[in-house]
Amino acid sequence: MDSLQGVILSATGVTRVFGQGESAVRAVDGVDLSVRSGELALIMGPSGSGKTTLLTMLGGLLRPTSGSIWIDGVDITRLSEAELAPVRRTSVGFIFQSFNLWETLTVQENVELVLNMAGKPGGAARARAISLLKARGLGARLNFRARDLSGGEKQRVSVARALANEPRLLLADEPTANLDSIRGREVMHLLRDLAHSDGRAVVVVSHDQRVREVADRVLWLEDGRFREIGQLARDPVCGMTVEAEDAVTLTHQGRTVYFCSAGCRWEFEQAPERFADAGPRDAGV
Amino acid sequence: MTVPVARRYLFAEKGRFAISVAGVAFAVLLILIVLALYRGMSRTGQTFREMPGALWVVQDGTSDPFHSVSLIEEPRLDSLEDIPGVAAIVPVLARQMQFEVEGKRTDGRLMALDLPEDAVSAGLRNHYAPPRGAMIIDETLQRMTGLDPGDSASFGDVSLTVDRVNSRSPEILFQYVFVNFTDARRIFGVHDVVTYGMVIVEEDADPEAVENAIVASDPALDVLTKDEMADSIRKEMDETFLPVISILVGIGFVVGAAVVGLTIYTATIERTREFGVMKAVGGSAGFLYRVVLSQAAILTSAGFVVGVLGALGVARLAIEAVPEFATEFRMLDIAGVLAGAVLMAVLASFVPVRRINSIDPASVFRA
Repeated sequence: MDSLQGVILSATGVTRVFGQGESAVRAVDGVDLSVRSGELALIMGPSGSGKTTLLTMLGGLLRPTSGSIWIDGVDITRLSEAELAPVRRTSVGFIFQSFNLWETLTVQENVELVLNMAGKPGGAARARAISLLKARGLGARLNFRARDLSGGEKQRVSVARALANEPRLLLADEPTANLDSIRGREVMHLLRDLAHSDGRAVVVVSHDQRVREVADRVLWLEDGRFREIGQLARDPVCGMTVEAEDAVTLTHQGRTVYFCSAGCRWEFEQAPERFADAGPRDAGV
Repeated sequence: MTVPVARRYLFAEKGRFAISVAGVAFAVLLILIVLALYRGMSRTGQTFREMPGALWVVQDGTSDPFHSVSLIEEPRLDSLEDIPGVAAIVPVLARQMQFEVEGKRTDGRLMALDLPEDAVSAGLRNHYAPPRGAMIIDETLQRMTGLDPGDSASFGDVSLTVDRVNSRSPEILFQYVFVNFTDARRIFGVHDVVTYGMVIVEEDADPEAVENAIVASDPALDVLTKDEMADSIRKEMDETFLPVISILVGIGFVVGAAVVGLTIYTATIERTREFGVMKAVGGSAGFLYRVVLSQAAILTSAGFVVGVLGALGVARLAIEAVPEFATEFRMLDIAGVLAGAVLMAVLASFVPVRRINSIDPASVFRA
């Protein structure tokens, strides 16, 4: 539908309810979202706000209770499980927080396998896998077992795998969470390039404030709904991004420090010197 | 050529792979050995098929050489010689009895053929009719008793010397000892009575017509074909051992399927997340089933090859240890076990496939 206007991902009134009756929880509640070609959209929000649930629905891994999701002009909410598999294979690339590589396979096989799944034969799949991995600086690691790589290398393999079948939509769940700051920054810039240079739509779910540097748009999800973003701050104890307006606060050395919970504030109070960079980090978008 | 996921998963746990292959191999070995033993045992009675007589005259009411004794007055056989199609009727004395070899008693079935000089070849005589004071045994009895050519054994007060050792016979229940007809009369203490009449039929004669003519000429006699004689012995084996063999084959099949099934199921459980990732990135149900089936096929194939080789080795060793252990491996049986192994692999994959079906691909987003 919207693909002619450059919209690759479109979600309308997407709702997901877990449980029934009084115990029913609306994890995602009437979310509308459009992501265009060449755009990197960042979804932030507190833990339990429904970010990952939304991402799994956008990727066709979980069915919404109501609403519709369109990828490249196809309403995936109307597809059967058997019809969804090819969509996930060719139209969507997934990048996971914990990499989710196949540990017993080699680096090359991790990429080659998704090509095989898409019906690409051995020789062509091998050549494409090698090319993708070399482009990510992993030419010397092709025959390593995935389990023998560093975190940064694993994430680069994960990105190469996500790109193997040339999807137009990339979904990344906390892609920098298990990486040090240097590797995290590399991945962020890689995601930006994939959106800007290759014309893909990239949706990132993250707590990492650094991702905001590369995001074209930041969305705040709370209680299953997108909200206007106010002043954001970083909890110095757990590192989580919190909205200053709703956060637990403490005045320390004349500054207001923001926490996600009373537990983090208590931890801070016991030894403030451990959290030297305490203080508001951000003034919103 | 695609990424060999199944092989990688199996070989990632080499110890478990080896144990699983051994389990399948054991099942295949058990099934094959039992079948080979059954085939070998089923050849018992073959001696009657190999002897030159197409028909055997027995006393009326004789069902088989084991459970009923046939006694025929020898002159009755003489009167059958003139029946059209009869080339010769050979009087036969046969009886199961114990004999002594260096003070140790052994069971055997004595058989004596009163072969006419002009009716049979010298080779036949060498095989079944030793000279007086001599006996012919086979390799199985030789190994059971230690009797070599020139050694003696006592049959009551008659001592006979081994004249010749025939190649191994397929008999299971007892081994044949061919003795001279005159010696047999002495050993059995009979003079004008024989056990059977072995009928050598003329080349162009119809055995069935000869059989009918013999029965018609003397109502006190009955006629069995050589196949009926052999089958009557085999029937004994079938009735005794077939149920046991069927149960053992069934147990082998269940053990094999259980080993393959448990191995693949465990491997699937351990890799639930990896299968979940495959589902998440678009692996079709067919693709995942192929991974599971391939694992089962690899395990079963490896187990099958090791099992067949093991069965051949065990049979060879068993014959060394127990001479009367008769086995016969038939290609058809091996092919049947292979088909069974394939069925085993398919059945064993059923539970893991159900498990894969139940994996929620969204679960891979949980760290």
